Amino acid sequence: MLSMHNISKVFRTDLVQTHALRDFSLEVAAGEFVAVTGPSGSGKTTFLNIAGLLENFDGGSYRLDGVDVAGLSDSALARLRNEKIGFIFQSFNLIPDLNLFDNVDVPLRYRGFSAAERKQRIEEALEKVGLGARMKHLPSQLSGGQQQRAAIARALAGSPRFLLADEPTGNLDSLMARQVMELLEQLHEEGTTIVMVTHDAELARRAPRNIHVLDGAVSDLHVVGTPSLRAATV
Amino acid sequence: MSEIGPILRALLRNKTSALLIAGQCALTLAIVVNALFIIVARQELMQRPTGLDGENIVYVQSMGFTRDFRPEAVIREDLDLLRRLPGVVAASPINAIPLSGGGSSRGYSKEENTESEGIGAAYYELDEQGQKALGLNLTAGRWFRPEDVQALPENTDQYPYQAVISQAMARKLYGEDAPLGKRLYFQNGQRSVAIIGVVEHLPSAWVHAENFPYSVVYPRITTEKFIRYALRTEPGRRDELMPVVEQALRKANAGRIIRLRTQSEASARSYRGDKAMNIILASVSGLIVVITALGIVGLATFSVRRRTRQIGTRRALGASQWQVLRYFLVENWLLTTIGVLLGSGLAVALNLYLVETYSLERLNLWYLPAAAVLLWLLGWAAVYAPARRASRISPATATRNI
Amino acid sequence: MFAYYLRLSLASLRRHPALSALMVLAIAIGIGVCMTTLTVHTLMSSDPIPWKSDKLFAVRLDSWGPDRPWEEPNEPPPELNWRDATALMASDIPPRHAAMFKSMFTVQNEDPGFAPYMVEARITHKDFFALFDTPFLHGGGWGDSADKNLEQVVVLGKVANDKLFGGENSVGRTIRLDEREFKVVGVLADWQPVPKFYDVNNGNFDAAEDIYLPWGTAQPFQLRTAGNTNGWKPENIDSFDAFLNSESVWIQFWAELPDTETKARYQAFLDAYVGEQKKLGRFPRPLNNRLSDVNQFMSERHVVGDDNRVLVGLSFLFLAVCLINMVGLLLAKFLGKAPELALRRALGASQWQIVQLNLVEVGLVGLLGGVLGLGLAYGGLEAVKTLYASNDGNDVRLYALNLPLALQAMAIALAASLLAGLYPALKVGRLAPAGLLKTQ
Ligand SMILES: Nc1ncnc2c1ncn2[C@@H]1O[C@H](COP(=O)(O)OP(=O)(O)OP(=O)(O)O)[C@@H](O)[C@H]1O
Ligand SMILES: [Mg+2]
Repeated sequence: MLSMHNISKVFRTDLVQTHALRDFSLEVAAGEFVAVTGPSGSGKTTFLNIAGLLENFDGGSYRLDGVDVAGLSDSALARLRNEKIGFIFQSFNLIPDLNLFDNVDVPLRYRGFSAAERKQRIEEALEKVGLGARMKHLPSQLSGGQQQRAAIARALAGSPRFLLADEPTGNLDSLMARQVMELLEQLHEEGTTIVMVTHDAELARRAPRNIHVLDGAVSDLHVVGTPSLRAATV
Repeated sequence: MSEIGPILRALLRNKTSALLIAGQCALTLAIVVNALFIIVARQELMQRPTGLDGENIVYVQSMGFTRDFRPEAVIREDLDLLRRLPGVVAASPINAIPLSGGGSSRGYSKEENTESEGIGAAYYELDEQGQKALGLNLTAGRWFRPEDVQALPENTDQYPYQAVISQAMARKLYGEDAPLGKRLYFQNGQRSVAIIGVVEHLPSAWVHAENFPYSVVYPRITTEKFIRYALRTEPGRRDELMPVVEQALRKANAGRIIRLRTQSEASARSYRGDKAMNIILASVSGLIVVITALGIVGLATFSVRRRTRQIGTRRALGASQWQVLRYFLVENWLLTTIGVLLGSGLAVALNLYLVETYSLERLNLWYLPAAAVLLWLLGWAAVYAPARRASRISPATATRNI
Repeated sequence: MFAYYLRLSLASLRRHPALSALMVLAIAIGIGVCMTTLTVHTLMSSDPIPWKSDKLFAVRLDSWGPDRPWEEPNEPPPELNWRDATALMASDIPPRHAAMFKSMFTVQNEDPGFAPYMVEARITHKDFFALFDTPFLHGGGWGDSADKNLEQVVVLGKVANDKLFGGENSVGRTIRLDEREFKVVGVLADWQPVPKFYDVNNGNFDAAEDIYLPWGTAQPFQLRTAGNTNGWKPENIDSFDAFLNSESVWIQFWAELPDTETKARYQAFLDAYVGEQKKLGRFPRPLNNRLSDVNQFMSERHVVGDDNRVLVGLSFLFLAVCLINMVGLLLAKFLGKAPELALRRALGASQWQIVQLNLVEVGLVGLLGGVLGLGLAYGGLEAVKTLYASNDGNDVRLYALNLPLALQAMAIALAASLLAGLYPALKVGRLAPAGLLKTQ
């Protein structure tokens, strides 16, 4: 699904050069659920941004679903992002002026679905996260956990095969965090590939595979359990 | 002003926005300065002295159309009638209306038999009451006596013997020499009249011509079907007397069409374009100032909104309300100052272009500092409300999540 | 997608109503001011007779005095004297030509109780009507003989026919001009060329004369011009005939020259005529005979005033200020929206789609501004009309918006705001989405 080889990323400002990633290599197979941990500033968000095609990189190669993304045009990248990737952010990033329906609608619009199909997908997605009755609400009228679930609905409405989450529970209390985590696990079960950055060791442990990032590179990668093992423990 | 450094650095990080405000200020300054300059010049033009009792003069135009129309007799009767009307101070036939845009002019010189065309001046034909009828101020010599005045048809070889000229005309021809008794030559110096008097002002009919202040008056009445009289009423009675005059003349002789015009109307018509230009320029300048001010308000509002958290943090860290306010005022001052510098150059360039293309006057450079002060004040006035709002941001904002 | 952008843009405009109003107002005022001056300018400089303006020529001979030209650098006087006009009429090179001047009369109809009024008349040759394609309501012009001999016939303008005959077909009836009887042979439909190109000596935008008399009436009735008479030579003018024989210029002259060959022949004819006159001691200046077509003539006679040009220039500078203003506000606004736009990018919008969205919003502002600006231009023109309007009221038509001008206003508003929006739209479209998502 995702295959990064020796990716490097340097941020240049007037005075300093920051090597956010160096020789970053990672393979994520289709259907995996990977939790990424690491100290602050280690390069987790940078990795996720590159994985999600939000940022370009300086060296190395990156294949997403078999496609080499280097040298793709902006609109090709946008198309890939739209069709294959769903994003979940720490701060939800819902558009405050749009109600839930319209928020979830955003990626579908760029996908070019028909009105009927969009409506069906939006309703399905919101039902799935348990917000079917709240379609006309504005984000400000929801709790943090509900907002994050709406953001997840938005991420999965286009049925992406690849879900990227940057500290999705960072702004939530532990109960809410658990709800969100359960939702992600359900999606994983349905076959979605998930990469989740988190600071919460307990949550990370619930993911079948953990990787640790240190100083812009993957420091050790160990498998906590195979998917089948995990299924047995739940 | 220790803050200038950081403010400038912050501005440089937002170069485009800064440049836009400065550029807008610059253009505004250039336009307003040039517009104001034109306005003042036109205002001066319109306020030149005329020497006429402008508010109390009425011109009566009579066009006889019957075949047996006898102009000489009609004129005698009309003048008799007009002069006897209560409220009329004086009445005289006149060939053209000063400042009206329509009249006659001719070239005059002080030399006999000259090849040069001399200086162009308006010529008027008035009778012995002409001075009183226009309210002219005689500064030397005398006005015409009844026996000086000749009644002649339009196409004739005969010319009058005397003339009264305007002071500007006298100075132009003879400099400091006394003009009285001198002879005034025309038609290539082949004919001449004696100058018997000088009036302080008597402008020509053409307000935009160079020869505006030059005029010559003959003691003469042209006896044609088209007759014009100038009459002066007692102060303030002009409008009340106009219908009376019209009625009386119509009753005296029905074989003609009568039309009345006031001096004020005629002058206003000639200056109409200038007045309109000034009003338009003033309105456009006003609008531009308003637009620029609103633009500054809008941008400042944005910038305050964007920096709300930052300002809250500063306040939490101990900045006083006044310091926050000052930050915005200084920032705005910096921007307008760049605008003033750019704008001054632009204003001069625009003026040079206007001088080149439309032969306008050179800009009086004192306009620039005046405009600069105006722009600073404008900038502050515009930025004050948003800055004040910024200074009132509660320090608690820093900790609140938005 | 467009409908979606439109909905988002409307919502975005509604979010900051004061600011949106400010932007719309800036564009509207800019457009209003520009359209006001531009309308006057366009109409002032419009071609009054576009279908043949390149074939109609004002004829000028440099009969002016030796010392200096009529106007610097070397302009011939704009009018002819009687002798030269008469001589030119003898040429058969132009298929149509006419000399003309303006005069004043008192006019009455057949009813003795009718209160006479003053009217401006044009004394001219029979070709005048065909030369300028004047539309006739009834009847037609006069024949050749009326130009050569005295025939008391007239063509009435529409207004005169309305006033004298209540708008009826008056052909065959009589009017009295200065107590002389004239028979009506034709009535014109409304015909008011703007500018009044064939005689701009007294007012570029005056009304056309309301009565037309044949050339043959001028000499017997000693008709004097009500326009300008200009002379350079000290001459003893003590009779009407002396006036006709003088060097005073007061007659406009127009000829139709359908092709360059005819024009060249006519120019040669003029030069030959002046050459001959030089032998008689006339025409002291170097040869300088001028054939200017309508548009050349309008520009040589400065029909569009300097003030008007200054105002047009000024109003475009004004529009520039409004635009800069708008660029600044849009930039601030779009930067404020940057996180949302970055999110859209993360969710699959391409840069171009973001730019499109922004441009739709800008276009909406432009459109609203344009509509409001048209309203302002209408008000502005009304105001300008009261400032400038002259007594005869003919130049009122200079201050009227028409459809092409209105469309032009909308086009300028849209183009201007898209131009103003392009930079902010592109700039925000290009921001890297990753950075913006983080700051939220
Ligand atoms: N736009 C940028 N310009 C300059 N340096 C940057 C930029 N973005 C990130 N960096 C630097 O790159 C490094 C990695 O940042 P990154 O955001 O990936 O860390 P992180 O692992 O997500 O940290 P945290 O857990 O705190 O979110 C940091 O040292 C950071 O300072
Ligand atoms: Mg991070």
